Amino acid sequence: VPSALASALAAIVGPSRVLERDSELLTYSSDGLPQYNVRPQLAVFPGTRDEVIAVVRELAARKVPFVPRGAGTGLSGGALADGIVLLGMHRLRRIISIDAANGLAVVEPGVVNANLSRATAPFGLYYAPDPSSQTACTIGGNVAENAGGPHCLKYGVTTNHVVAVTAVLASGEVVTLGNAGGENDGYDLVGAFVGSEGCFGVTLEVTVRLLKLPEAVRTMLADFMSIDSAARAVSAIVAAGIVPAALEMVDQPTVRAVEASIYAAGYPTDAAAVLLIELDGATAGIEYDVARVEQLVRDAGARTVRTATDPVERARLWQGRKKAFGAMGRLAPHLVVQDAVVPRTQLPAVLAEIQRIADETRVVVCNVFHAGDGNLHPNIPYDANDEKEASRVHEAMRRIMAACIAAGGTITGEHGIGVDKLPYMDAIFSPASLDAMCALRSVFDPDRRSNPQKVVPLHACREWFAAPAARP
Amino acid sequence: MTTMLDVGAGTAAIAARVCDAIDTRTPLRVVGAGTWLGGGLVADSARTPTETLSVREHAGIVDYVAGDFTITARAGTTLAEIAAVTARENQWLTLDPMGSDAGTLGATIATASAGPLATGFGGPRDIVLGLEAVTGRGAVIRGGGRVVKNVAGFDLTRLLTGAWGTLGIVTEVSVRLRARPECDETIAITIGASPADVAHVCASLQTWPFAPMAMELLSASLAQRVTGAATTVALIRISGNERDVRAQAAAVDMLGLRVPFDADVWTRYRSAEPTGACVFRLSAPRTRLPNLWEMATRIAAANDGAMYSATPARGVVRCILPQPDRANLSLGSANEATLIVEQAAGVAFPARPVDATIGQLERRLRDAFNPTGTLNPGVMVRTS
Repeated sequence: VPSALASALAAIVGPSRVLERDSELLTYSSDGLPQYNVRPQLAVFPGTRDEVIAVVRELAARKVPFVPRGAGTGLSGGALADGIVLLGMHRLRRIISIDAANGLAVVEPGVVNANLSRATAPFGLYYAPDPSSQTACTIGGNVAENAGGPHCLKYGVTTNHVVAVTAVLASGEVVTLGNAGGENDGYDLVGAFVGSEGCFGVTLEVTVRLLKLPEAVRTMLADFMSIDSAARAVSAIVAAGIVPAALEMVDQPTVRAVEASIYAAGYPTDAAAVLLIELDGATAGIEYDVARVEQLVRDAGARTVRTATDPVERARLWQGRKKAFGAMGRLAPHLVVQDAVVPRTQLPAVLAEIQRIADETRVVVCNVFHAGDGNLHPNIPYDANDEKEASRVHEAMRRIMAACIAAGGTITGEHGIGVDKLPYMDAIFSPASLDAMCALRSVFDPDRRSNPQKVVPLHACREWFAAPAARP
Repeated sequence: MTTMLDVGAGTAAIAARVCDAIDTRTPLRVVGAGTWLGGGLVADSARTPTETLSVREHAGIVDYVAGDFTITARAGTTLAEIAAVTARENQWLTLDPMGSDAGTLGATIATASAGPLATGFGGPRDIVLGLEAVTGRGAVIRGGGRVVKNVAGFDLTRLLTGAWGTLGIVTEVSVRLRARPECDETIAITIGASPADVAHVCASLQTWPFAPMAMELLSASLAQRVTGAATTVALIRISGNERDVRAQAAAVDMLGLRVPFDADVWTRYRSAEPTGACVFRLSAPRTRLPNLWEMATRIAAANDGAMYSATPARGVVRCILPQPDRANLSLGSANEATLIVEQAAGVAFPARPVDATIGQLERRLRDAFNPTGTLNPGVMVRTS
């Protein structure tokens, strides 16, 4: 027998779009971090903007908390709904308009990231932020997480490409933040909303900026016999004033996993690390920059340097990088995915420290990351059923995060806080700053019903203690 | 394992001053170098506080590691001071707000003031990495950090960027730096003055396989002041390696004939408006720039000595009326454009309509961060 809430929601979206049975909800009990496993109370999947608004208003009338979810590829547990309503947005996948002359597109939140660039390619345009999950993740999720990606080194992250957002607040009010028709003329509410991890409301429509496809692209692969020399090559390129479109590092354990998988990209498996360097721009000057980068990486100790010019070879080189997390599935049944940022000059020291921690805790760290940004992803494959191994892995992760913070870095560059990084928030923000974040959240969602208990630790928000237990 | 940064004596003193002001119900006007006092959207002059809190003395570089391409400085540090320090490492901060480099970093961020380089590098919201601020509750808060990529916590940094000190006083800022390009060349080209001519220039920009660092179109009246040539001029700044720049210059030269200019042409462009002038911007999607240009031409015809310029990449036209007391403004179809007033100079502009829910969010923001209205009352207020 469906609950009263399920019946009310079914009246809006149709009975087949409301899931309430345990077996049906299993799919939605994790996001991209499968070590977290919690069951929603029910899941509802509206198919149109009006249905989303009606659902949110129904939830508002009943004071029911909810969690918006895109494709569920997030890597911080942000889309977990622990005993509350999960609001799936992936059915809203229309590209509403492409205004090529103004370089703008209006999309629904469920549009898959890669599909947008595919749709705009005939106009010579593309959408720059390209998270590794871009063939699955949605623009709505990207907005919630302020998603990054390899090409954000040169072109910036999601927040730099969103012009306006129409959202339904938890109260049911619909509001357009930002100004697609000119300069923003008030507070930067788009800036506040992007990266709010679903805590400020539910995205209905996003206006994004499109960029011209570059005239020329060169992808280079350089391999090194030590991680340190690869890290020094990164510094040398950046210091020379060259801004590559992407500058990625993949270490040996990752290379081996990739090369043994169906995503094999032709990376040398005996190298300590490879760098994937992409340059783009006008044809006129690109070969000159390619030659400069080649010289710089050779001076830093590169063994070989390969340059791909044709799209097929470039795609193959990229495949190894973008599918690396998936390839790690070959190494062990479970994987801890990590995300931290350090100042670029600290890369060699921090990478050495991570290796020291890995040795001491007897774990294998697979580093695959955005080296140009200093955005690390030290991932650890392991067997979660082996309690001793699991506790060593958690010890290693705690120490790695501490090392990144001590180096002047931060606890997440692109995956978000969600629930996974909550324990680290106190380490980088003062109580007053966390309090300000709580206050900002309350501006958008005073009842704190949209994605409750994420991003800011409960104990840090004095006012949160006064929040009513908003469970149905 | 905490690296939470200490609150410096300067910030503590500013926080103490704010707390005093809250207790004594003394509204404060927050200033840096004091060059943007006439701005802040529709400022309510009747409520302008008599007490000012200047952050100009709260200055100095806090942290600069050249290899990281980031710098952290206190709010009162001038852009000139930052330029001097970063130039030694062949780097620069690509923020060149209208006015001069005597302006402070804090005010540039607090007012989100952009200049010609925003065409190539984005504005303050794209360049700021983190900041420290004293809220209207007297609390010292930090958002973001010193690294170039950061999604930890809600984005207090962008919230305070462009909030004109109405939510908090920006006391320290971390920003991204760039390497000085190998070649940096400015070209001034004479172009036609009609909307069709402007449309042609805009169309060219879209077909070029490169993005100029800056591209501004100057009315003849403004060009005369900046370059000496009394003709409509496109001022274009290109960069890259030698080959890039040669190819870019060839493309730019297709637009028209070059006109000569001095080395300080950008400095002059940024500071062209006479003291006391009324300055405002109109913006729209970039394909409507010719319409905005036409509107500016009409306004200029009705106002003695008026000057204007356009930024094709951003769809912005900026108008300068040197004699605000005799301003003759009929913005006509301006409701199709977004109006932003930089310096009202006593000119009455139409009240800006605001969506009710946005108005509610803005009110709640002020209630949360500046509940007593101590900081910059009358600024960022939608209706007077």
